[in-house]
This record gives sequence, structure tokens and C-alpha cells, in this order.
Amino acid sequence: MNRNNIFIHIALAIVLILVAAFAGQLSRWRKQWKSQMRIVPVEEKKKAMTVEDISLSETQSFGAPEILVKFKNGISQDAIDRLTAQRHDRVEDRFENAEGWDAIDDLDNADAATLVKEYQQLPEVEYAEPNYEINLDEATAGPLVPILPHDPQFNDQWALANSGQRGGTKGADISATTAWAKTTGSDEVVVAVLDTGVDYNHEDLTENMWRRPEKMEPYYDKELGTIDDEFGFNAIDTTADPMDDNGHGTHCAGIIGAEGENDLGIAGVNWKVQIMPLKFMNASGSGSTKDAIEAINYVIERKKAGVNVRIISASWGSTQKSRALGDVIRKAYENDILFVAAAGNSTVDNDRTPHYPSSYDSPNVISVAALDRNDALASFSNWGVKSVAIAAPGVDILSTWLDNQYEEKSGTSMATPVVSGVAALVLAEHPHMTVDELKKKLLTSVDPVAALKGKTVTAGRINATKALAD
Amino acid sequence: MAISKDIAVENARNDLASRLKINASDVTEKSVEDADFPDMALGAAEDDEMSGQMITRGWRINLEAQGQAFEYRADKNQVRAYKFKGKNYRI
Repeated sequence: MNRNNIFIHIALAIVLILVAAFAGQLSRWRKQWKSQMRIVPVEEKKKAMTVEDISLSETQSFGAPEILVKFKNGISQDAIDRLTAQRHDRVEDRFENAEGWDAIDDLDNADAATLVKEYQQLPEVEYAEPNYEINLDEATAGPLVPILPHDPQFNDQWALANSGQRGGTKGADISATTAWAKTTGSDEVVVAVLDTGVDYNHEDLTENMWRRPEKMEPYYDKELGTIDDEFGFNAIDTTADPMDDNGHGTHCAGIIGAEGENDLGIAGVNWKVQIMPLKFMNASGSGSTKDAIEAINYVIERKKAGVNVRIISASWGSTQKSRALGDVIRKAYENDILFVAAAGNSTVDNDRTPHYPSSYDSPNVISVAALDRNDALASFSNWGVKSVAIAAPGVDILSTWLDNQYEEKSGTSMATPVVSGVAALVLAEHPHMTVDELKKKLLTSVDPVAALKGKTVTAGRINATKALAD
Repeated sequence: MAISKDIAVENARNDLASRLKINASDVTEKSVEDADFPDMALGAAEDDEMSGQMITRGWRINLEAQGQAFEYRADKNQVRAYKFKGKNYRI
């Protein structure tokens, strides 16, 4: 080897070393950039979260699965692999405890909404939904494995998991199954169902009924005297027995908290919760303003006595405005109690024709419209771009009925306890949240729904998974 | 006890006769049709009456007396006069 060749080889070696070093630095920069892309934008997005951009809070980080897909029975993993590969996607994970569910990662990083739509149209797919990112801590963030309860009639509960059953639209639901990956409720949270009473002996409710704690004194009212409120309160005859003689209150209670995973009937939005039954409507489903006030007053007094009652669910109303009723609802606000109320079923604009109590201007009131299984505003539902806050499923809702029965019913009556139920789920996870924080959380975590634009304040359907996001 | 359609029509006819101070035989039944009402007061709430906001299946009973039309609403739990001289009544 001559002297010139040695110099050429040394120069080549130096160039190769420099190229390798530069490539290594490039790789480190790339990893650093990926990490920043994963955390920073999501946090910034959360801080600046508005109703309009809530839908963008689904996981969009590089490498994380964008959507969760449940394939129909009989579709082999080979077929799933082929199907995803054809779309330049890949199966990122398969869930052993959630049979049939796969986490799909789109290698082109398409947005989750587009992917959900694409997969929902495939005949092999039963259900697809975005992979919601709940925890912003990078070390623990990951796909939420949907939890499907074994309650035998769960498949008919489209409001909780809409797989397109009976002509519905896949995904037009409150995303309960992924919310349950975080919490299925807490028996520390008490929800007052102000209604026709509740069948507290119903097989699917009895375990989740409120009972006055042994150490708590019976209810005392200066005018009514002492009432041994072991199960709740009946404002019609001012007794201790809130047994339902209509069915409406029992239906609403089941939506909020029919016991989950008990191999009976249905699952409530909360599998565990305490339902405080209050009766102020009679066997026909009607009641007076005076009795409604009496029952709300009972709730406030029980709160003051130490019962953790944080929500009143009010699936009733009229066009009559009562200043006294408005005042007692505001009193509930001062005691940190949310008041969720039905918008009404008269197909009218509540901005023009108010419906009470949902139209009271109290900070704790959430007025609820009803949606059908295709995300259309229910044909009967009232609306109001200024006065109706949010919408929830309210058509053909299966829930508990008298005599251990289960029935499908429709109305903003049914949409209201869906919202009350999600509020209870949020409180199970964040027990110290104030009523203002809770209301804000519910209203800023909706799924935008085209049919609600110009119809409700949020123009969206309540979403339990997003409401539980930190 | 649940009210049947026939009983509901009979109750409505008697109530109208009483309000108009005429014989029940002078009240004509024009039609009775199944209907979905917007709430549990059958869309015929009295003043100061709150009702469950659940769609309620029942019957719309159209009667005629003294040359005028009158509407009653009923379900298995109740019968109501709808806007009789501008007001609703639960009978």
C-alpha cells in the first residue's frame, strides 16, 4: 500500500465515523421529538379545552393505537391481520380479558374519528371506538380496555354500548364500556331520585339502595315531626316509605345504578352507587310543586346531616314557573348538590317556552335533551341553544320496572338519569369535585353531534369516558 | 286498578255530561284512537302539576255534545279533560 492510499483510507474512516455519529444524534433527536409530541400537545390541548375541540382529545400519539375494534364472532385473527394490513394498519394489541377486541394502530396516523368510521362500515366489525387517552402520565397512559358486564340484557342497552343493534349507529352511545375501565362507580356517592319513588326491593337495585346509616338520627322536620326514613322519603303523605307505585322512578333509578356484573337484567351507568329514593309523584306519574319542594328540602337536610348526596335527578316538569321551587333548587346549589332535569317532551324550543325545573337559572341545573340510537334529536324532545345544556340517549331505553321486570321507555325522563349517572361516575373518581367543577366537566367533555348544532348549549352527547379524563 | 279503554270512554262521557249539565245519552262518541302523549299527565297537566317526562301510551277520546267537539285523554291510570273551556282537568 502506498502512502497516498493510507491517507485516502484514513479520510474515508473519519467520514464514516462522522456520518455514524450524526445518525445517532438524529435518532436521539427523533426520540426526543416523539416524546414531546406525545405529552405536550395533549396537555396544552386540555388546558385550552373548549366545547368545540373536545373531540380531539382522543389518543393521537405516534405508535399508540388510534382505535379499539371488536370483530364479530368467527372472524379469525388471520383474517383480522389481513384486513388491517390491507389498510396499512396493524393490530397493536389483543385483549385476553375482552374477547374479540383489538387495538388498531394506523401506520399513517390517520385521525381516530376517520378510522372509527372506516372500520364501522366493515361487515366483519361489530363495534369500533376511539382509543381515549385518560391519563396524561406517559408512564401509565395506554389504551383503555373496554369492560363488558355479564348482565344478560346488556346487549339491549344501546345507550351504554351502541353496536348498531336494531338499526342504530355504532358508537352513538355514552362510551360507558371504556369509562368502566377506570371506574364502575362507588357506594360512597349518593344520588337522590326525585320521582314516583323507587322499588327498593327490585332484584337489580336492592344492593345499590341508600339506607339511613345506623348512627344517623331519623329525619326531623318542625312541621312534619320525626320520620323514620330508613329507605328514603315520601313527600306525598310525608311518610318514610318511598315505594314506587308507578314504575317511572324505578326505571330512572335503574339507568343510574342497576347493579352491574350480577348476572341479572341490566347494568346501570354505575354498577355501584347509593340511590336515595324520594317519592313526590303519585301512581299516575304526577305531583305538586309543594311536594317537590318538600322532597328537595329533605335532600338538603340529609346532606347537612352528613349524607354524601351530591346529585338530584329530576325526570319531570311542567311549564309552570314557581319561584319557591327555583329558590329551593338554588339552596341545593349552595349545599353543593347538582340538579339534573329533563328538558321536556313537547317538541318546543325552551328558549321561547321555558320548561321547569330545567329552565331555572341556577348554576347547578343541567337541562337534558334526548337522542335516539342514531344520534338524532328525539322526535319529542325539547331543545334550546341557550337553555338546554346537553343531550343523552332517551329513546327505547331498557331499565328496571316494578315487580322485578325490565321495560323499554322513551322520554327526556330517560335521558336525565343517564347524565345523573355519569355525574355520579365522575364523583366516584373525583369525590371532592365541587358542583361547579362537576357541571363544567360534564359539559366540556361531550361528543359533538351534528343534529344538536343550534339546538343545545354544548351541541353534544354526554361521554362518560371523556368526563372521567383527568 | 288499571282502567280499560271502554271504562275510560264511559268515564269521559259521564264527566262531559256532568260539566255541560246534560244527559250522558246526549254525548256522542266521535272517535277513540291510540295515542302517544308527551308526558305522564298525558299533555294535559292541571295548574301546579308536575309530571314525569316519559312518553305515555293511551287513548285520545273525541266526543261531541251541543254541536261542539271535546277531547279527553286517558291511559290505564287516569282520564283527563283536555282544554275544557281552556283548562285541563284530571277526573
